[in-house]
Amino acid sequence: MDKKLKKGKSQELESEVYKKHTKVYPREVHGLFARLRVTGVVTLLGIYYLIPWFTWGDRQAVLFDLPARKFYIFDWVFWPQDFIYLALLLAIAAFALFFFTAIAGRLWCGYACPQTVWTEAFLWIERKVEGSRQQQIKRDKAPWTSDKIKVKATKHSLWVLFSLITGFVFVGYFTPIRELAAGIVTFQLGVWEWFWLFFYGFATYGNAGWMREQVCMYMCPYARFQSAMFDKDTLVVAYDKERGEPRGGRKRTIDPAEKGLGSCVDCNLCVQVCPTGIDIRNGLQYECIGCAACIDVCNDVMDKMGYEPNLVRYTTEHRDDGHETHILRPRIVVYAVLLLVITGSIFFKIATRIPLELDVIRDRNALYRETPEGLVANIYTLKVINMDEERHSYRLRVDGLEGLTHALDGKVLEVKSGEVLDVTEDVVVDPINLKKTSSEIIFTLESIENPELVSEQKSRFLGPLIR
Amino acid sequence: MEKKKPHKAIAILWPSFMVAVVATGIFFSTFDPVEIYHISGDGFELSGLGHYTIGFFSFWLLGAVNGFLALYFLKPCE
Ligand code: SF4
Ligand code: SF4
Repeated sequence: MDKKLKKGKSQELESEVYKKHTKVYPREVHGLFARLRVTGVVTLLGIYYLIPWFTWGDRQAVLFDLPARKFYIFDWVFWPQDFIYLALLLAIAAFALFFFTAIAGRLWCGYACPQTVWTEAFLWIERKVEGSRQQQIKRDKAPWTSDKIKVKATKHSLWVLFSLITGFVFVGYFTPIRELAAGIVTFQLGVWEWFWLFFYGFATYGNAGWMREQVCMYMCPYARFQSAMFDKDTLVVAYDKERGEPRGGRKRTIDPAEKGLGSCVDCNLCVQVCPTGIDIRNGLQYECIGCAACIDVCNDVMDKMGYEPNLVRYTTEHRDDGHETHILRPRIVVYAVLLLVITGSIFFKIATRIPLELDVIRDRNALYRETPEGLVANIYTLKVINMDEERHSYRLRVDGLEGLTHALDGKVLEVKSGEVLDVTEDVVVDPINLKKTSSEIIFTLESIENPELVSEQKSRFLGPLIR
Repeated sequence: MEKKKPHKAIAILWPSFMVAVVATGIFFSTFDPVEIYHISGDGFELSGLGHYTIGFFSFWLLGAVNGFLALYFLKPCE
């Protein structure tokens, strides 16, 4: 019995979460927030499509060169060793998101999320080809005619073309984009480049053309946990129930107070413009991505009716209940402090970064070797990476064991900017100086031009078993 | 547990995708695929993005297998 009840409940939940999807036809909307979003969309897409075409010196300004294992971002060159910066950057992005979400709700979703941005672009194409919301609904209901096929084919061709361009630019972040363009024209692209071009293009087409609001509802991790960052002082889009109800249709000329009506004329436009297909008048819903399309359209209606605007508006729960909204609250302060600390530490790390890396790898083939003179020798492979913008000469010191000698003693290692030098090092010690079978030795590499450029690496020196 | 097939697929493929992105980042910032190739001495020599692509999809596959098994074991046994 108990089990049955539980099952019923979970089924209910599931059918709620995974209710049958009906296509949402968002109506076009104009107004302040729509303009803001278009600005956001154009700016972000502009950045995405144009950035790979910029050059910086003699290279692409932003290039994630995987085969060479170097990330170029304008003046900066990041190596795999700099992974920590990437991790810190991600942490900054996460805390910035928490911070803005706590203050202003789902700003990210409504204006900056790639899902919104590309969906918006796809919707624009759809409207250009298929016409307004009414025309789209009518056409979808109508039987297939040659005209319908033509319209649909045009739309999908444009979508596919746009997606392929998007995929091409994506690959252009990893392979020099000019070579890539030339490779496409001459059909001489590497198989992996083709693969990613189509893969990313397909993902764009699927997500922005077909999945749309379902991505926000079923796939987006942020949508799932953003409510944890909400409190009563967070900016949300909400309908003013007090003022709007009782809703009802009426003529422009009548006085609503006389008829006992609120300000909502029940035109349903706010539902029609909603990209996630919800009714904001039902209160706060997790599907709402805070895009403010309903604010824009309702203000239009209010204007036409000659009523005050902002029946649907940005507000906070506190303000709605007649309390004051507090911007500064513990949660905000904590996010802000964390954000500052992480941002500070990344700048500190970049400022004090030593652009020199030394890797020491013990020879794998032999533990140690005895020389004809009865000394013990270990072989190491050293990797010197000069991450500086200039060429440097380095000297190597090896310490840790008494009386050791090494092959690179007094030699100068020259490494060009951005190059990796592989050298073999032979360290030799008299066995009477070996107290243990495995002793620690320290390799220190120092630039001759700039003694501040120092890198130290520990390794082990192995000798015969000592009883 | 009877969810519709596409939703199950999303529930398996999507989280494993995100984990694969992170795993690929960590793995390849530690190991250079060309070096792995030299050490192991055999396998294919792949060009450019090849190693990274295969690495990413292997991680994705592993994560998806894990997700599939998790869902499978959640099913009550008859
Ligand atoms: S757009 Fe405004 S007036 Fe029209 S139904 Fe929505 S809330 Fe009411
Ligand atoms: S309810 Fe309004 S703000 Fe929320 S998603 Fe729909 S249109 Fe956008």
